[in-house]
Formats: sequence, structure tokens, C-alpha cells
Amino acid sequence: MATVRKTFNPAAGTAQGMSGAASINPAMADDPSFISVLVPVWERPEPLRPLYEEYAAPLRQAGKRFEFVFICEPGYQADIAELLNLAQAGEPIRVLQVSRNLDEASLYHTVATDSLGPVVVTLPAYRRIEADYLPRLIDRVLQGTDLVVARRWPRRDSWINRWQNRSLHFLLRWTVGGKFRDVACGVQAMRREVLLSTPVYGDSFRFFGLLAQQSGFRVEEMDAPQHLGDRRARLYRPSLYIRRLVDLLGIYVILRFTTRPLRFFGPIGVSLILIGLGLLLLILIRGLGPVSGTGRVVLLAGVFLLVLGIQAVAIGIIGEMMVFLQAPARTRYRVVERVN
Amino acid sequence: MNSVSGEPPRLSVVVPLFNEVGNIVPLVDAIRSALVDQGPWELLLVDDGSTDGTADAIRELTAGDHRITLIRLGRNYGQATALQAGFDAAVGSIVVSLDGDLQNDPADIPALIHTLREQDYDLVAGYRVGRQDPTHRRIPSAIANAIVRMLTGVRIRDTGCTLRAYRRELLQGLHLYSDLHRFLPAVAVAVRGARVTEMPVRHLPRFSGESKYGLRRTPKVIIDLIVLRAIHSFRERPLAMFAQGALLAIICGLLSGYPEIFTGGFPDSRFSLILLALPFIWLELAGFLILLGLMAEVALSWQRSARPSTPLLVRRRG
Repeated sequence: MATVRKTFNPAAGTAQGMSGAASINPAMADDPSFISVLVPVWERPEPLRPLYEEYAAPLRQAGKRFEFVFICEPGYQADIAELLNLAQAGEPIRVLQVSRNLDEASLYHTVATDSLGPVVVTLPAYRRIEADYLPRLIDRVLQGTDLVVARRWPRRDSWINRWQNRSLHFLLRWTVGGKFRDVACGVQAMRREVLLSTPVYGDSFRFFGLLAQQSGFRVEEMDAPQHLGDRRARLYRPSLYIRRLVDLLGIYVILRFTTRPLRFFGPIGVSLILIGLGLLLLILIRGLGPVSGTGRVVLLAGVFLLVLGIQAVAIGIIGEMMVFLQAPARTRYRVVERVN
Repeated sequence: MNSVSGEPPRLSVVVPLFNEVGNIVPLVDAIRSALVDQGPWELLLVDDGSTDGTADAIRELTAGDHRITLIRLGRNYGQATALQAGFDAAVGSIVVSLDGDLQNDPADIPALIHTLREQDYDLVAGYRVGRQDPTHRRIPSAIANAIVRMLTGVRIRDTGCTLRAYRRELLQGLHLYSDLHRFLPAVAVAVRGARVTEMPVRHLPRFSGESKYGLRRTPKVIIDLIVLRAIHSFRERPLAMFAQGALLAIICGLLSGYPEIFTGGFPDSRFSLILLALPFIWLELAGFLILLGLMAEVALSWQRSARPSTPLLVRRRG
């Protein structure tokens, strides 16, 4: 388990210490529009001081009460030192540093258990959207939407990036449905409850909007012009694309089959069983005796598929039993209104 | 305290609704008429993420009658979850569920309650007589009902009928998700040892709106039946279920390996290795199933140490 070293701006009114205890700062809770901007510092952060200054300015101009919480992986000492200088100068900045590398979801989870304002903004440590649009996302949350996901539009980047984005969302729509066009943008404004209540782990944070929607929150996508600093072409190593496809498969199963795993494994298993039985039937009908070479290959393939199908169904049944056992511990619905 | 008299309701009626705006007013009127002599009651209308203004229609009704409660869910979760939300909110000692499409007749509710109270049942399930559904829905439904009876041994002839009456303590130990609501009587018997009976109820033609069911649900129902069988028979001993499968696989392995092992193989030896692989594939399956069963036992053991098993219903006599 990673420990968290905290450095606070005393002006923000929070205590100093090394614990990871969850609390909500009463001063923040009193102000329903207090904003905590969470910046996970990992992967490919840009220099943090200019990033902070650029995104804090429009919030200040809009008269918002806010703080920036930087949650840093090990390293980044120079950046952290600069942030601490800003904090010393009275800027509403907090810095948390974890003791080892974590994934994005764990970084956010670490912050979420700390004191946060009623409105939370997630902001990658690199520029995605024009800073001027940040207050608009927040205003939409204050008007009643649970989560607003920024969609980088109009796009200003290369066709390679756009093609990749379109491909991802084509696959998303094809598998899990939904109307997102830039779900992985990373810039999101939400009520604190959304961050605390949406089950998210590992790399699934990039699909946070979908997961929040699944949890029954009202989610909207809102256009925000893409930042010029985000326009460079991005081509990754092949292993990353494979990882993304695996993430997609994972999110497909999580969103559609969490409470009914056999509906995923069952059709796969039954299909394999039927194909296997079909091959075995072929041996009988076509007279491919086990003595002939072709007959043996078909026999082996038939049995192999049959066995694989049975295994898939068995895994599905295990999943169903686990869901059944866990059902009492989980409330799987969200009531948004009760009258009388 | 939702009842008009100020007494806490003794009866809770739960109705899950999805895009039934045209049915709300006649449904509530029919329920009010049916429950005139039933003492204090509450009506929990669960809006399951409707997009046609169902929630607005219910909200208007709640203003004039404090016995009516609107519970609006964040999205469309499905009928089982909507029912669960209603059951969680219900305070009456007897809970009745019915569909919101007005195909169940609320006038049948008093008879269900009477049977539940007088004959000391935990669950009284309605079965629809004179069904108003087309043949292409009735036939798969009849087949599914027969399979459910065969698999579970619970003699309920219409698992698809939502009009049922329950004792609330029965529902407190059950947790609905996916499409489990359809098999609730069977689950109630398997998990809580409930006393279950059935009685005929009317089935009316659809007054307004569209049916949310069709033939495309058949594969899902079949999968649900497999789940039901697993829950019903092996909930407390999953290894036994997987061991049965493993035993079958071992038999298949021995049969497929018989020629190679006991008779010295086939004359053509070019592909004899392939045939030799067959028994190992079957044995691999047997091992896999045993390991899965063991894993299920471990999971069950952890689950039970964290939270005791849902208790059987116990009646105190005298």
C-alpha cells in the first residue's frame, strides 16, 4: 500500500500530516460551489507551474472558490518545489505525493479519500482543452448535472489523432453503446459524490463517464475547444494499442455483464459446444472414421471446442454464483428522487 | 406514515414502471378502488428511468395523495432492480408487486392478501388465466414455466406473472438483480425455505403503451434457468456440481482413450498421437472443473465468514 506525503497551503485551512484518513474540510463543505481541481502527475506531465497558472486564471476571473490538488507519483521534485513555492505565496495549492507508482484510478482514489470540495474537476497534467472553458463545465455541474465530460471540439490536432479517437469511439458505441465522442479526454467536472461512488480501478478511469452513467448519474458531454498544446500527433507502441483493446473488452464486460456473467460466457460456451458437436457429427455423417488422418484432426478439433465451450460455461456459472453471493452487499441502483 | 389515517401502512404495493405514462392514472385509480377495505396502505411507484414523462405523471398524483410515493431511479436498471428498490422502501408487513402496464388487475390483490394471511403462506403468486398475449409469446412462456418447474421442483405455473403477495420478512433476505424477479418464488423456496402457493388472476389486454418483452428474450431466459438450477441445487456445495461435470469428463476421457491405451492403438500410426491427445483433453477438463469447484468453495467460505448465510424463515408457533 502506498503512503501519502501531504504538503498543504496553510491558507487553505487544512491540517498537515502524513495520514491518508478521509475527511471533508468543513470550510469546503459549507460552500456548495467550492471546487477541488485534481491533477494527477504521472505519465507525461507538462511543467506544472504554467499549467496551474493557465487553468487557475479563468476560475479566478469567474469568481470561483477553488483549490488545486496535485497528486504526484515519486519523482517530479523540481515541479513539486515550484508548486510549494506557489503555495507558500498563498496560492490555493495542495500537493500529495504517493510512495510508489500507481495507476490513474488509484491516484484519483487517493485524492478522493482526502478532503475535497463539493465540486471536483479532474484535469490531466497536460493541456487538453482551452482553459477558458473550465468554468463552463463547472457551471453545468452547479446547474444540476452530476458529471460533465469535456469533448475536445473543434479539434485542432492531426488526422492520426482524430482517426484514433474516432476508431475508439466507434468500437465503444458498437460494444457498450452510449453517445460519447471523447470519453477519454480526462477533463471532467462533477459532484464529489460521483467520484466517491463510481467504481473505478486500473486503466478503467479513461471510461469514467460510462461507468458513472452505469452507476445512475446524469452525465453530459460538453464541447470545449481543443488546446493548441494538445495537437501534436500521437503514435504509440503496438503494445499500448493491444492494451487499449483489452481495456475495451474489460469495460464491455463490466458495463454489460457485471450482474449476469453467464450471459457473456454462456453464448460463447454454447457456440463452441455446438461447433464442436457439429464437427463430431460431421465425422459420423461423412464417414470420416477415426482411422483417417482428416477424421482424426476433425475429431480432435471437435472435442477441443466442446471442452473449451464447457469451460466457458463453467466459468460463467462460477461468476453467477459469485454475483449471487455478493448481491446482498451491493446496492445496484441509485434513487435520484423520492416524493412522499 | 403514508396512510391517510396516519397509521403506518400495513400493506405496500410496489409497481415498477418504464415508459407507462398513459397507464399511470387508470392504474392508480384501479389500485385505490381495490384497496378500499384493506386498511392503511402505501403505493410505491418506481420509475425505472422512463423517458416519456412517467415520473412527472406520478409526481402530480403524489401531491394529492400521501399514500403514493414516487421513487425515481437514475437510469433504466431493469424490472428486477426496480422491484428491489420498491421492496427496500416498503414498510408494510405485506408487500404486493404488480406490473405497471395494467395487464394485471389490481382487483385481484385482496384475494392474494387473504390467501397469504389466512393460509399462512410467505408468498402467493398469481397465474394468469385467459392470457391476452399473442401465441408467439404464450408458447415460449409455457415451455419456460415447465422447465422451471422441472428444474426447481417448485410447482408454480406462471413465473412471468408479477402480481404476487409476499411477507416482508421474506423479501428482506432476497436480493433481486438481473432478471431474477421472474424466478422469485423458486429462489424464495431455495434460499429461504419459503411456503409458496399460487392462485388464478385475471389478465387484461394492454390499455396503453408497448410491451417490453418479446421472443428475443428467450436465450436470456434459458441462461437464467441454468443460473437458477445452479443456485437452487448447489448454492451451498458448488464443488458437488462441478464434480459431477468432472466425472462425466473422466468417463469421456476413458472412453476416448480406450482404443489407444488398451488395444495398442489404431493400425495407422501417422496420427495416433492426435487420438492419444483426446483422453488428456477430457482429463484436463475434469481437472479444470474440479479446480473451479474448489475455488467456488473457497469463495463461499470467505463469503460465509464475512456474512452468515441468509436464514431460513422460521415461524414461532404458540
